[in-house]
Amino acid sequence: MKRKNRWFWLGLLPFVAMVALFQLVPIVSMVTGSVSSGSGLTFEYYIRVFQSEYYLKAIKNSLLISIFSSVIGVVAGLVFAYSITRFSPKMRDRLIMLSNMTSNFAGVPLAFAYIILLGSNGVFTLLFRQWGWDVFAGFDLYSWSGLVLVYVYFQVPLALLLLYPSFYGIREQWKEAASLLGAGTWQFWRTIGIPVLLPAVFGTLGILFANSMGAYATAYALVGSNFNLLAVRIGNLVSGDVVSEPQLGNVLAVILALSTLLAVYLNHKMIQRAQRFQPGSADRKASVRRKNFKLKTSRLKEEL
Amino acid sequence: MQASGERRAGWGHRTLMVVLLVYLFLPLLATFIYAFAKDWQATILPERWTLEWFGEMFTDVRFMDALWKSLYLCLISVALSLVVMLPAVFIITVYLPGLESFMKGVVVLPYAVPGVVAAVGLIRAYSSGPINISGTAFILIGAYFVIILPYMYQGIRNSLLTVSAVELLGAAEMLGASRMKAFITVILPNIWPGVMTSTLLSFSVLFGEFVLTNMLVGGHIQTIQVYLMRRMNESGHLASAIAISYFLFILVLSMVLMQLGKKVNKGMSK
Amino acid sequence: MKPYLRLEGIRKQFGANTVLNQVNLEIREGELVTLLGPSGCGKSTLLRCIAGLTEMDGGHIWLDNQSIAELPPRSREIGMVFQSYALFPNLTVSENIEYGMRMRKASKEARRQRSTELLELIDLVDKRDAYPQQLSGGQQQRVALARSLAVRPKVLLLDEPLSALDAKIRKNLRSEIREIQKKFNMTTIFVTHDQEEALTLSDRVCLMNQGNIVQQGAPEELYSAPRTEFVARFMGSYNVLSRAEALRLFGTVKGEAESFAIRPEALALLDQEREGTGLESGKQIVQGTVHSASILGNVIRYAVDTAGLRLTVDQLNDGRSLRMEENHPVKLVLDATQLLHLEKEGA
Repeated sequence: MKRKNRWFWLGLLPFVAMVALFQLVPIVSMVTGSVSSGSGLTFEYYIRVFQSEYYLKAIKNSLLISIFSSVIGVVAGLVFAYSITRFSPKMRDRLIMLSNMTSNFAGVPLAFAYIILLGSNGVFTLLFRQWGWDVFAGFDLYSWSGLVLVYVYFQVPLALLLLYPSFYGIREQWKEAASLLGAGTWQFWRTIGIPVLLPAVFGTLGILFANSMGAYATAYALVGSNFNLLAVRIGNLVSGDVVSEPQLGNVLAVILALSTLLAVYLNHKMIQRAQRFQPGSADRKASVRRKNFKLKTSRLKEEL
Repeated sequence: MQASGERRAGWGHRTLMVVLLVYLFLPLLATFIYAFAKDWQATILPERWTLEWFGEMFTDVRFMDALWKSLYLCLISVALSLVVMLPAVFIITVYLPGLESFMKGVVVLPYAVPGVVAAVGLIRAYSSGPINISGTAFILIGAYFVIILPYMYQGIRNSLLTVSAVELLGAAEMLGASRMKAFITVILPNIWPGVMTSTLLSFSVLFGEFVLTNMLVGGHIQTIQVYLMRRMNESGHLASAIAISYFLFILVLSMVLMQLGKKVNKGMSK
Repeated sequence: MKPYLRLEGIRKQFGANTVLNQVNLEIREGELVTLLGPSGCGKSTLLRCIAGLTEMDGGHIWLDNQSIAELPPRSREIGMVFQSYALFPNLTVSENIEYGMRMRKASKEARRQRSTELLELIDLVDKRDAYPQQLSGGQQQRVALARSLAVRPKVLLLDEPLSALDAKIRKNLRSEIREIQKKFNMTTIFVTHDQEEALTLSDRVCLMNQGNIVQQGAPEELYSAPRTEFVARFMGSYNVLSRAEALRLFGTVKGEAESFAIRPEALALLDQEREGTGLESGKQIVQGTVHSASILGNVIRYAVDTAGLRLTVDQLNDGRSLRMEENHPVKLVLDATQLLHLEKEGA
């Protein structure tokens, strides 16, 4: 027994050390940093953030852009995911693979691609101008609408991948049973299909929200510090483009972390609910496969 | 049993998929074309093509330097993670399953905590005090370790569960193998494909990492992503060439990943 | 009597594969008919064609003097229970049962009354507000049954409703289904691959093979008088003999048949050491050796080697007869009148 324990500790020690050093200590340090002044406990910086129009605006912008891009992403994801289920299995796998492939294209390269397409000297910008399509004249990639456009781009494949399996949770026999009991297609979706999908939809919304709240690379590459976003503000405060108070950075980081934690928690709860709808008999192989799938999907985060 | 599989998607669905693919591939295509374009303005396709940007890229010392740095930083981090995680996950999964729910919490944190936030914490913790490693490769490797934690943990754990490590180990020990020997001769070879998959996945995740790299060591160490960011404003065409090369590299990597994944799945269904 | 449900020339192909080959079937009102057969014989497809869930390539269906082949499933007044229950996971037990009435815009009171009635029938009143995943498999299937009965369908279709359940529950639920079916005088088609289930449950059994109904009749008829080798093999552990084998065993056989069958319980064993006490006429004795013996509850099943054949022989396990050891020499009593003459396959 003793010998066994020693082996255990030897094996676990490096892991525990790494997690403590690079995950727990920084988080604790950040939280304490947000409430400590030179001498002791203080909430001064929180008060300052919540009284500063500038930072409130950053929070508001981040929330808005995240909500917008997540909702659009989920709606588009639902439509596309349903559409994909109508194809043959082979085609389905191919479509999913292609969608996954593009998800590697994120962060800095993505922002750059959009600059090529729609930037102030972008191909489409110049083409539209030449063709006299004035509708697009008002569009500015480096503004709010531009950011939403780019954010939606990396949200859609993620939403697609997260939602697509839940359409398979809706079993063909439910539709058949409903039709024998007198339900039309729309009635089926209203009474069975959509309610069953709902946890997955909200769960996905949570992931997308967290994803875009934390997104930094895309925004940084696209608008630099010109656009007032929470993640960009934090980056600036800490990396010292503007020499200032790091405590404010800590406070903003805590706020951001709280919002994403909340969203991920929502996702967690929703997954639990969705599992209620899954009929039992999920043998282990299936659950392992599902986990592998989850592993793959997690790759899709815009950035970590 | 016979009902599905024979249907064909209608025109509406096909159109929708075309729209999706165009939307998703347009930015990629644009970058691709831009990388081969001499100049490209106000026409659907460029009028003159060139390979000069790729030539410039490969002769650019700073690019090669950044590429090299990216490669070795990612390799070191992934190797370190493998060495640390393999025994730890094995011990937890096989001998201390009671700790699993706790591990789930630890592992989900890197998801829930965005890169910017992690960077803030790391900078505050390690830019002064007893361990002053800010701006060095050490802090970056530590941060990378945390980033790939979820992938490595899930990958190793799933592989262990898939091969029923506990039963395998029991069988090996009954046949007289010591625990260490059983791990090396029985468990390791069986979980290797699955572990390789998550290792490659982790590598590709790190290769595309920007936030933490830029914030933690951006001024001192230029990885490929940081370099790309710097060059973006100077030469668009060169940046395109870099972005496309990067994308192709990741693509090849994910192809390998997929083949590996298929192999793992086949092994599972046997 | 006039058939209540009539199927005529039902045809279905999946690609080049003919799943249903001109199937005809007539069912009386209140009758319980089983479609029995190995997997892939077309029994489930036939059921789905009746329900309208699978489109037929040809044929007609009349239900209660009305042609229903062109109607969508929801207008056919047919109830169906699936092997996997197919309960709606987001609805409670009572909501599941009331679903059909809700779609027909029945009043809340009427719905409630009907669901209570049915819940009492299936003895799940206290599970009224539970969700399907909180129930056991057997309970779920009872709810599925209640759900399909709630709208008072003209025909009830049961697609292997018991095969996902374990043996004990299966037996209980089987008799419960039969009771309910009789109580409502419900015209029912029951699909199964389990011959025992078919025999105990039905008024009439239709044995299917490769898209055809190869033999139909009352359970006892199907069991005691299989017409072809396929039926003989599927219905029980018949000993099927070729003409040459039958000649070897019996010496002579009447008729022209090419293959024969004899039930294991129609053969009897005598201990070699004991003297046979006078045989009835028509019976004869051959020498054999016990190859193996296994106890199946009230029956001991022997495999006996004789005349270069291995025959299955069932003896009543009444405690008086000794269980004979392997390699034990025995006398086998044959009764030529029990030898069934089989038709050629597909004849």
